[in-house]
Amino acid sequence: MDSLLNAGSPQAQAMQSMFFWTLVLGGLIFLLVTGLVLAASIRYRQRANDDEPRQIFGNLKLEIGWTIAPALLLVFLFGWTLQTMRTADPAVAATNQDPDLVIIAHQWWWEVHYPKSGVVTANEIHIPAGQKILTRFESADVIHNFWVPEIARKMDVVPGHPNYLWLQADQPGLYQGACSEFCGAQHAWMRIRVIAETPDEFAAWQQAQLQTPAAPTGDTAVQGQQLFQQKTCMNCHTIAGSGATEQIAPDLTHFASRATLGAGVMDNTPANLNTWLTNPQAIKPGSHMPDLKLSADEVNALTAYLETLQ
Amino acid sequence: MEKNKLGVLLLIGSEAIFFLLLIVAYVSFRNVDTGGPTAVSSLDPLVTGIFSLFLFSSSFTIWRAGKSLLQGRRAAFQGWLLATILLGLVFLAGQAYEWRSLFAQGATINTNLFGTTFFTLTGFHGLHVLAGLTALAIILGMGRAGVDFQTAHPAAVESLSLYWHFVDVVWVVIFGVVYVTLLV
Amino acid sequence: MSRIPLVPESDIPLPGLRSDHGLLSWIASVDHKQIGIMYLLATLAFFLIGGIEALFIRIQLARPENSFLAPDTYNQIFTMHGTTMIFLVVVPMLLGFATYFVPLMIGARDMAYPRLNALSFWLLVFGGLLLYFSFVGGGQPVAGGAGGANGGAPMAGWFSYAPLSERPFSSSSGSDYWALGLLAVGIGTLAGAINLIVTILRLRVPGMSLRRVPLFVWMVLVNGFILLFALPPLNAALVMLLVDRQLNAHFFTPLTGGSAIMWQHYFWAFGHPEVYIMILPAWGMISEIIPVFSRKPIFGYEFVAGSSVAIGVLSFAVYAHHMFTVGLGHPFNAAFSAASMLIAIPTGIKIFNWIATMWGGKIRFTTSMLFAVAFIILFTIGGISGVTFAMVPIDWQMTDTYYVVAHFHYVLFGGTVFAIFAGVYYWFPKMTGKLLSEKWGKWHFWLMFIGFNLTFFVQHILGIVGMPRRVYTYPDLPGWGTMNLISTIGAFVLAFAVLVFIGNVLVSLWRGQPAGDNPWDAWTLEWATTSPPPVYNFEQVPPVRSRRPLYDLAHPDNPDWKRNR
Repeated sequence: MDSLLNAGSPQAQAMQSMFFWTLVLGGLIFLLVTGLVLAASIRYRQRANDDEPRQIFGNLKLEIGWTIAPALLLVFLFGWTLQTMRTADPAVAATNQDPDLVIIAHQWWWEVHYPKSGVVTANEIHIPAGQKILTRFESADVIHNFWVPEIARKMDVVPGHPNYLWLQADQPGLYQGACSEFCGAQHAWMRIRVIAETPDEFAAWQQAQLQTPAAPTGDTAVQGQQLFQQKTCMNCHTIAGSGATEQIAPDLTHFASRATLGAGVMDNTPANLNTWLTNPQAIKPGSHMPDLKLSADEVNALTAYLETLQ
Repeated sequence: MEKNKLGVLLLIGSEAIFFLLLIVAYVSFRNVDTGGPTAVSSLDPLVTGIFSLFLFSSSFTIWRAGKSLLQGRRAAFQGWLLATILLGLVFLAGQAYEWRSLFAQGATINTNLFGTTFFTLTGFHGLHVLAGLTALAIILGMGRAGVDFQTAHPAAVESLSLYWHFVDVVWVVIFGVVYVTLLV
Repeated sequence: MSRIPLVPESDIPLPGLRSDHGLLSWIASVDHKQIGIMYLLATLAFFLIGGIEALFIRIQLARPENSFLAPDTYNQIFTMHGTTMIFLVVVPMLLGFATYFVPLMIGARDMAYPRLNALSFWLLVFGGLLLYFSFVGGGQPVAGGAGGANGGAPMAGWFSYAPLSERPFSSSSGSDYWALGLLAVGIGTLAGAINLIVTILRLRVPGMSLRRVPLFVWMVLVNGFILLFALPPLNAALVMLLVDRQLNAHFFTPLTGGSAIMWQHYFWAFGHPEVYIMILPAWGMISEIIPVFSRKPIFGYEFVAGSSVAIGVLSFAVYAHHMFTVGLGHPFNAAFSAASMLIAIPTGIKIFNWIATMWGGKIRFTTSMLFAVAFIILFTIGGISGVTFAMVPIDWQMTDTYYVVAHFHYVLFGGTVFAIFAGVYYWFPKMTGKLLSEKWGKWHFWLMFIGFNLTFFVQHILGIVGMPRRVYTYPDLPGWGTMNLISTIGAFVLAFAVLVFIGNVLVSLWRGQPAGDNPWDAWTLEWATTSPPPVYNFEQVPPVRSRRPLYDLAHPDNPDWKRNR
């Protein structure tokens, strides 16, 4: 379950612990208040022909007492807050801003760069487990928010104001999240997949991502490659070695290595890809990929080609 | 305090915050360099200063108008009121002149951040001056039509004066923040 | 048929108008009672519209990957739902109650500025219509926002973050209608605030010092000041947005040097005080109602009044707790966290004051009292989740999820709306001369209580399991569909409860029991005149020597001023 209560990093652990105990405390306060209200309601219900009750206007000592007690509680909560902030969001030194990972948010997909290795991908973020990954967030358009509850706090992605975060997952596994700042029509389908791997697996993945894809074999796939270059795909999408270099849309160099397409709107299967290419607007209306009005054959060819891009 | 004066003071309190926020926007974007005209390159504190003197002196004239009214000197009251309006109009004319010269230099509200913040701030101030002048003209008209303010609307002139002084003070602040800082 | 009070004859009657009864007398009215009723009717209408918008939202979310609403349409609807409920329902409804009852409670003849009062109301109507006109008037194919001309209402959320609300990303006129509509409503509201403050400070009957005014009046006074200083940041931001959109300027466009974050500062400098604007008068109502139905005075009048003043001031110091995830640094976050916890103190102690009022009383569970007691419990839940948001690391996980949607509905619906219903059942007799049916009222209450909790409690859990807010649909993750369905069912129960309420109003207006001057045996001045009051409010105002003038009259041997102050 992709929840803050399923913490997978020290940062998330700190937030989970704080949240859990605060809920317990809140629950106790709720029971106290509700108990008093119900007790008063039952005990002091007017019975027939009751005289007027004693007219009491206040009690200074009591009121001071129930002002000070919550105040003390809040002082404690504040101190706890300060301490937990440090653990939940470890500091990024002002001088050390050499990120391992740069994530650029777009209307409705995530552009993912690894500056130190040169890997470029989209929507699915691989990290080595057990390590702190310095991540920088930038926005290409409006304000977005990066949220993967099991491993990290939310971080706004603000145009004109880059933000830094230490991303960390204790164990290998899949950690899912979503954009969490309303960013327009398809905010709902701007999902995030963080895949933490053992160092070996991560190194292998990185190697694979840096390869230029082999030329496709099979007529349909070859035809698909030609279509990719002839149709307007190259105006937005990059595939290494194809001459396309735009980053307006997700990098497709290793498209077939990803589990979903459309930032999580569908699983990445040939059938789904087929549906997507036939009319993206039917699946994710408002997204910036127009309906290219491709024929069924063209769609099949492109699908075949794209699925070779492991 | 009389209720109409209280009402105007509350309005002034609210409007003061509104102008403060426009000024904060101006100041916070002042050092953002996106090219194009800047305060330093396009404003003339001296000329604007002279026009500002007209606005500042109109606070004196409206004060004199109030005093004349209290002393029952109707003609003097109307005279000082008229002077206030004329001084305010000269100020607005000066603003128009300044804006035109800025347009000629290619500085408009959408040129860059300086243009955006400058014209928004001075524009809203000018609008408030215009509103004040309109009210003053109405009062003057009523005075000329023979309305006895002392009995019918005892707090009207004083309330309006408060608003007018406020508009003046706002300009003192704007002038200081936008223009005087260019001289230091 | 209830008696509608006559409009006063003006000094110089306008030729040709029949000003003593009929629709025109209402439209032309400057009487605070008529204006108050018009406020309540207009805001009730907007409440129904906002409620229908909510039902559409809940239908779309009842199942994962539902296709009842296109994304474009959904985004317009949730934006309008929030904007409507906040600007066109809660704030003006409370203003309407204040307009009707503050002059009565202080023994005055009308508000300080009757014509300004009318202007405030009509600006609300005009602004609301302008906002809703966007559905038909703003429609153009939207480039950056969505694909298709599905109406042109604003769709950037009720707080309209930049640069999403700027032209490149919101090319329909929706955001312009939003800004203009809010400016119109806002100016009317500001005028209303000034009117109420001057009324309270200048028009009290002799003997009614500020230490003796009803707590509802105290809350309205503090509220007036909050409005006075919170509306300017909103107006500045709206004006700046319009200048950006209409004149291609650069306030909030990061690509040309502007600042997206500045919008947030300015908006929340308004937006946070705004939520106190939406609760203070509600607290005032509760502080009137609980004592009357417990037959005891409010416990700790000074603390309740004083804590509200503290909240009024502090409300401006907490706003950036809406910005904990923006990345403004730990010291900045810590400061606003501290202030937000501080404000919890004056907020929370009132709960104890109300309980202590009930304690030792003789409680009559009228429908009004049921709503007031439920308020205490539901507001406490919302208050607790609010404190969790002051704790920054929790906010870092829970903001922008359904947990926060649950939080603010608990304080605004379980809180303010329940308080308003308590106020309606309490004051309806005074305004109309008829009692609302207690039988219908009990049905209304229980349906609403159950429906409300069914709708919103489960949303805490949805947020905890990771559902973001403002999503037109969601993936079929474990439990999400079921929980959303429960919430949707709850929403329909709520809708039914509202229908029961409307039914109650209609039936009671038609043949409700006559109320008399003081059906609840209450103590404040509005009950010292007929129901409804004559146009001039009071034949004669009773002497005011304490906070409960009518109690004193009924207890000549034992008045408040003899034993208290």
